[in-house]
Amino acid sequence: MIDTVRVNRLRKMPTDGQSMKRLIESGLIWLRTNKDIVNALNVFPVPDGDTGTNMVLTLQAAWNEIKDLGTHNLGEMAAAVSKGALMGARGNSGVITSQILRGFSRGVHEKSVLDKETFVKALCDARDTAYKGVVRPVEGTILTVIKEVANAAEAALGEAKDTINILEVAVKAADEAVRNTPNLLPVLKQAGVVDSGGKGLFFILEGMLRHVYGESLETPTMSVQPMSAMNLQDALDEVEEGQDYEVVVDFVPTGELNLQSFYTKLEEMGTSIQVGEGEGMYRMHIHVPLEKRYEPIDYIMDIGTVTKVAMENLLAQMDDIQKSKQLQFTVVEPGNIAVVVVSPGLGLSRIFASLGVAAIVAGGQSMNPSTQDILNSFENLPTDKVIILPNNKNIILAANQAKEVTVKHVMVVPTRTVPQGLAAMLSFIPDGELDSVAEKMTRALSAAKTGEVTIATRTVEIDGVNVKDGQVIALLDGKLVVSAESVEEGVMDLLEKASAEEHELITFFYGEDMPHAEANRIADVVRAKYSSHEIEVQEGGQPHYQFIISIE
Amino acid sequence: MGDETTTLGGIHISPNAVATIAYHATLQSYGVVGLAPKNLADGIVSTITREPSHGINVRYKGEDIDIDINIIIEFGTRVNSVAQSVANTVRFNVEKALGLQVNSVNVHVAGLRISDSD
Repeated sequence: MIDTVRVNRLRKMPTDGQSMKRLIESGLIWLRTNKDIVNALNVFPVPDGDTGTNMVLTLQAAWNEIKDLGTHNLGEMAAAVSKGALMGARGNSGVITSQILRGFSRGVHEKSVLDKETFVKALCDARDTAYKGVVRPVEGTILTVIKEVANAAEAALGEAKDTINILEVAVKAADEAVRNTPNLLPVLKQAGVVDSGGKGLFFILEGMLRHVYGESLETPTMSVQPMSAMNLQDALDEVEEGQDYEVVVDFVPTGELNLQSFYTKLEEMGTSIQVGEGEGMYRMHIHVPLEKRYEPIDYIMDIGTVTKVAMENLLAQMDDIQKSKQLQFTVVEPGNIAVVVVSPGLGLSRIFASLGVAAIVAGGQSMNPSTQDILNSFENLPTDKVIILPNNKNIILAANQAKEVTVKHVMVVPTRTVPQGLAAMLSFIPDGELDSVAEKMTRALSAAKTGEVTIATRTVEIDGVNVKDGQVIALLDGKLVVSAESVEEGVMDLLEKASAEEHELITFFYGEDMPHAEANRIADVVRAKYSSHEIEVQEGGQPHYQFIISIE
Repeated sequence: MGDETTTLGGIHISPNAVATIAYHATLQSYGVVGLAPKNLADGIVSTITREPSHGINVRYKGEDIDIDINIIIEFGTRVNSVAQSVANTVRFNVEKALGLQVNSVNVHVAGLRISDSD
């Protein structure tokens, strides 16, 4: 709904620096709201992996530059926008966006307010600057969109009453140009999508217009995407509590599908709504609670012919996906410190990843990674400051060799066990001084005692402990301290030896041979004895060791 | 690398062919306004011939292809982002066109072009 009172009021007000600031903010918010739509349009696996995200980050950098700026001078505000966007430009589309803003800023240089002539000139400068940045412009991209926008604005200048008219023309032209991109770039046509960067630019402009109209910037555009672009795998990331069922319905509507009411109805039922279209058929995707799982189907049967229904229990699915899912590592900012850890199991890797490590090398007892493996893990990271946590005494050497070979500045924090590695990670500061951070992390090692429980592979006597082949043994900080007949007994004796009663937190990382239920049972036994302690059980996934135990 | 033997005979992909693909990919990358000669000799050669691998150096090292690219970037763009996107685009295009694994793409920013100052 257009708020005409608001529009009329804005028409009478000069568009100065502060107005531009609000327009940039609106463009940013609207782009962010619709980021996923832009991301879903990617054609190449590379080069520009996530256009929407990159453009949001670029515009966000521009916004950060101006958000505290009080100037009413348009030229000054635009210059700050341009500077912020340049510094924060990410990815191909981000760089082009920053050039567009730079050109715009050049067009309003030394102007205190925006009139329609200045606006058109600035859009033309934006177009020209954007095209100057490349030798062979590819048409059917964001470049084409800014070109069409500027051309349309130029053509409309005579008739337009004011800047708001020009903005309306610009948004309309952007929309049409985006729709036309598949006709210019065959690769888009093949994939059945429009250009992602161009769409992003459209959202920025549309956000500005929505701000003028007083329309909401928070609810994403209802969109019908090509069926091929529906990414239902990713929708699982956003499963909300209670929304346990995924329902996908293919259907042919009996009449023209009224998207507005279709969406409104679906929103009453559930979340993660996606609608795709292809060859007269529609596909609807939604997440709904258990008791509502038939509602979307019943509803769609009223408005069309259902051809296929798929329903899945998400909670059951999530488990599998999480297991196979790739780890999400911290993205290292250039110049910051990256931590690389050696981890013996998937569960532990996940925990390390959540603590902010940049890369993981698989390895541990009886599967030591090579110096090359360690080198490979950090050579491509965008920083030359690296800390390695070997997490095993036999891997410290390889880590030190990696340090010798590389040109990067590497420090090895000599963690001998996984709990030491975890303790070290807790003292990690990404943007600190490399030497002092490494020193701090090294000091943190003594905070955690490490217990390890495993099965003896031969009969032996070490450190005064008699061990028979097949018996359970427990090590405290690498030293054999206990032999026992069962894992439970081994754990209890080990905790005794570690003076666990003087500590507060005991964390069990159970290995791949240890069933979850059994791990929990043993933890309950420990809880009963150490009732004032905090006891945690985590999946470690390491081989050979039934438990790795951190005692802090 | 670049050599393949089939029942009919051998296929050899010359470094120049790889360089040509890299060249076109580079020039389509946003922010790149030109390629720079690898060295003085190359600079002289490229003014008299129209060699497509001008500014691009391709090396086969056993199984690996390494590509060096000397580019000139538009002043006022974020150099880091542009260089990164060149590396991505070149790798993608070479691997797609030739089906060969690219080991490294090294982008050397040889200069900036100032087309107009703010």
